[in-house]
Amino acid sequence: MLRMTKTHVSPGTPGSGPARRTPGFRAAAVGAALPLVLAACGSGSGTAEDGTWAPTEAIEITAPAATGGGWDTLARTGARLLEEEGLVDQSVQVVNKPGAGGAIGWAYVAGHGGDPHKLFVTSPPVLLVPMAGNSDHDHEDFTPIARLATDYMVYLVPADSDVETFDELAAQAESGEFSVGGGSGPGSMDHVALAGALTAAGTDPASANYIPFDGGGEAMTSLLGGHVDAAVVGTGEALGMLESGDMRAVGISSPERVEAVSDVPTLVEQDVDFTFDIWRGVMAPGDLDGAQVAYYEELFAELMDTEAWQEESARLGWTDAYQDSEEFGAFLDDTRDEYAEILTEVGLQ
Amino acid sequence: MGMLDQLLHGFSIALTPQNLLFVLIGVLAGTVIGILPGLGPMSAIALMIPIAYGMEPTSAIIMLAGVYYGAIFGGSTSSILLNAPGVAGTVATSFDGYPMALRGRAGKALAIAAISSFVGGTIGVVGLMAIAPGLASFAVSFGPTEYFALMVLGLTAVVSLGGNNLVKGLISAVVGVMTALVGIDSQTAIVRYTFDLPELYEGVEFLIVALGVFALAEVLVMLNRRGQGGARKGVTSLRLSGRELGRIAPPTLRSSVLGFFTGVLPGAGATVASFLSYSMEKKIARDGDTFGQGNPKGVAAPEAANNAAAVGSFVPLMTLGVPGSGTTAILLGALLVLGVTPGPTMLADNPDMFWGVVASMYVGSVVLLVLNLPLIPVFAKVLNTPRAVLVPLVVVFCVVGVYGLSFSVFDLGLLAAFGAVGFLMRRNGFPAAPLILGLILGGLMETNMRRALQISGGDWGVFASEPISAGLLAVALLSLLPALVRAVRGLRRGRVGPSSPEAATDAGAVPDGGSEDQAPTPRG
Repeated sequence: MLRMTKTHVSPGTPGSGPARRTPGFRAAAVGAALPLVLAACGSGSGTAEDGTWAPTEAIEITAPAATGGGWDTLARTGARLLEEEGLVDQSVQVVNKPGAGGAIGWAYVAGHGGDPHKLFVTSPPVLLVPMAGNSDHDHEDFTPIARLATDYMVYLVPADSDVETFDELAAQAESGEFSVGGGSGPGSMDHVALAGALTAAGTDPASANYIPFDGGGEAMTSLLGGHVDAAVVGTGEALGMLESGDMRAVGISSPERVEAVSDVPTLVEQDVDFTFDIWRGVMAPGDLDGAQVAYYEELFAELMDTEAWQEESARLGWTDAYQDSEEFGAFLDDTRDEYAEILTEVGLQ
Repeated sequence: MGMLDQLLHGFSIALTPQNLLFVLIGVLAGTVIGILPGLGPMSAIALMIPIAYGMEPTSAIIMLAGVYYGAIFGGSTSSILLNAPGVAGTVATSFDGYPMALRGRAGKALAIAAISSFVGGTIGVVGLMAIAPGLASFAVSFGPTEYFALMVLGLTAVVSLGGNNLVKGLISAVVGVMTALVGIDSQTAIVRYTFDLPELYEGVEFLIVALGVFALAEVLVMLNRRGQGGARKGVTSLRLSGRELGRIAPPTLRSSVLGFFTGVLPGAGATVASFLSYSMEKKIARDGDTFGQGNPKGVAAPEAANNAAAVGSFVPLMTLGVPGSGTTAILLGALLVLGVTPGPTMLADNPDMFWGVVASMYVGSVVLLVLNLPLIPVFAKVLNTPRAVLVPLVVVFCVVGVYGLSFSVFDLGLLAAFGAVGFLMRRNGFPAAPLILGLILGGLMETNMRRALQISGGDWGVFASEPISAGLLAVALLSLLPALVRAVRGLRRGRVGPSSPEAATDAGAVPDGGSEDQAPTPRG
């Protein structure tokens, strides 16, 4: 049996930190059924004579968070559709490993190096949490499998606000009198999305008053109650509020307009050269061989072609953004550099 | 009239055989999971999520809502019988419920809990139905400044919960607040008091502390007392006389209303509601001194409040799409996967679901009462279990409950550590209740205070200039006044004549002159 490693972790760099999107208490993870999976039989097994590979036992998808969050949703939706659509011969199990903003789950997967039956779902925190020094493992310890979908950030103001464009928001934010709420801690996703956009708009992101809340929902309630002046949250979270007309979005971080909120202009349209993806993908332990990676690339590409996937992702507000293993790996490296630059601007790196 | 029509329509949805079955499954599963110490509504809902996937959305949320309030309903049972809170919201119930059980009044305590839960739940549903849309503006009127003031008000209860030694009560509360600070600070992302252990990055789970300092400490006390008579009286009747019902009626009604409004606030929830109502009733009651020694009002108040709050927390969820607690956050996640986006437009877009759920809550409340009252004598038999069987069982339940939260062996170590801390506190006369209060309210108070100051640019004046916050802080100050006056008087007398024996005893009797040391199991 391979064991989860619990080694020394250096304390976080002051002023930076992981995304904590699960609000309130650490949620329970009882829903996770621990499959009785024995240690992997080595990378050799499952490889056919023509060099292709197929899983020989149940596939386990780890959500490095509790049930009910974004990672859990992706893991469970993916697992269910893979089985329902008959894309896999083996069963697909979801395991929740909550804790330390994902680091506990990553340590668990990293402890299964070379095991091709242990996947995990991933998104920007896999870059941001290690950058803050709060994880033993970063994305280079894992094999990228595929990027699947993406979601974007919206920049919200109350319906009756004077602020009409992102430039106006940026100008207000620079004054320091204007507070912008977000759903995660300083140096994490929402903050990076705000700071990057402010920099692109030509203002100093360090002078903005960013107020971290426990989750985008809390940030939006505070905006509704007039306790903060603006908020930056995921598009999916804001759909209800935008529809009801309680709030207005002065910008979205997508390269092109998004269908679900087609009246919201992109930042790029407003001559603010910045995009921010809340990308979601799948990764595996390190040291997988080419045939194994090729199998999963193909599998997830097929999954995204199904009608059921299209329906689910439309419902969850995701946009397809498939990248294969190599592209995804390069994307991760580039994105990390971009985040580092933004965090340096705000003085968090 | 329109509302009544819609409610009737709701009942027509809730009372279809299929949905009736799901209400039953939901509340039954919730009650059973709630009774097990450590397994709360979060675990219960998390367990049910995989089942709910693929179900028709209205049926699924009816079932999951049933699991939620069923778990809170059932959680009181283990608080009362074993001093092992099943659910965070029922920790306050054990303050008086367990002493009642030790005095052979377990049946009555369970009956009071069931009835006040029912009343709280029903008043909550009426509130949800009648004023939910209007309440959205109330819910958002609370920002960081207001939450800070609310938590301060809640923390003033430390003075009255501390028993007969104010200093020990305050020390205990401070330890609770310090425990709440462990983990990555959400305002600056700096790790605090984690000793470089990643397991502590997300803080210490509240239930681990509660189970440690209550249930495990109780077990250690039992073991320590081995040989001395078990003195556990058998279970008496669960019948409540008209007089008893009359006594608990006002606290139940008051706490139901307070609980509902606290539940509506997205930053508060059932646990905060139960503590607020417990301390409010302790202050209001003429026999407030006997709270903590088995006063029935001390069971009725938190039970009515936590059930009303559980229903109230559906207001921000269904009208704003914002989860008010960890449990509703999981519920929101489940809803999103089911293709329902709760939010401001839900009532208009999806009236079937809203009214179906409201009606199912009426049905669920009745089912819970009918289900639980006959079972009370069965549950109460737990108290007759020989200690040799009971002690290992409680330990097993605590361990399973904690392990089920995170599958973390580290958390089991924490549980043992807090058990030891709780035992030592008991041996040395430190009350455990303020520690729990400090843990629950202290963390929220700190975060919101810093958020408020960050928004105001460091200006402390906001706490006095915002009307809601100023009002709450004034109430907090007023409620502290009697204790402060007594303390100052004691000090002054002490200074005038330090040798006066009268002054010494007076100072010792601060803050409320309570004589908790005569309780069967001293908490203070």
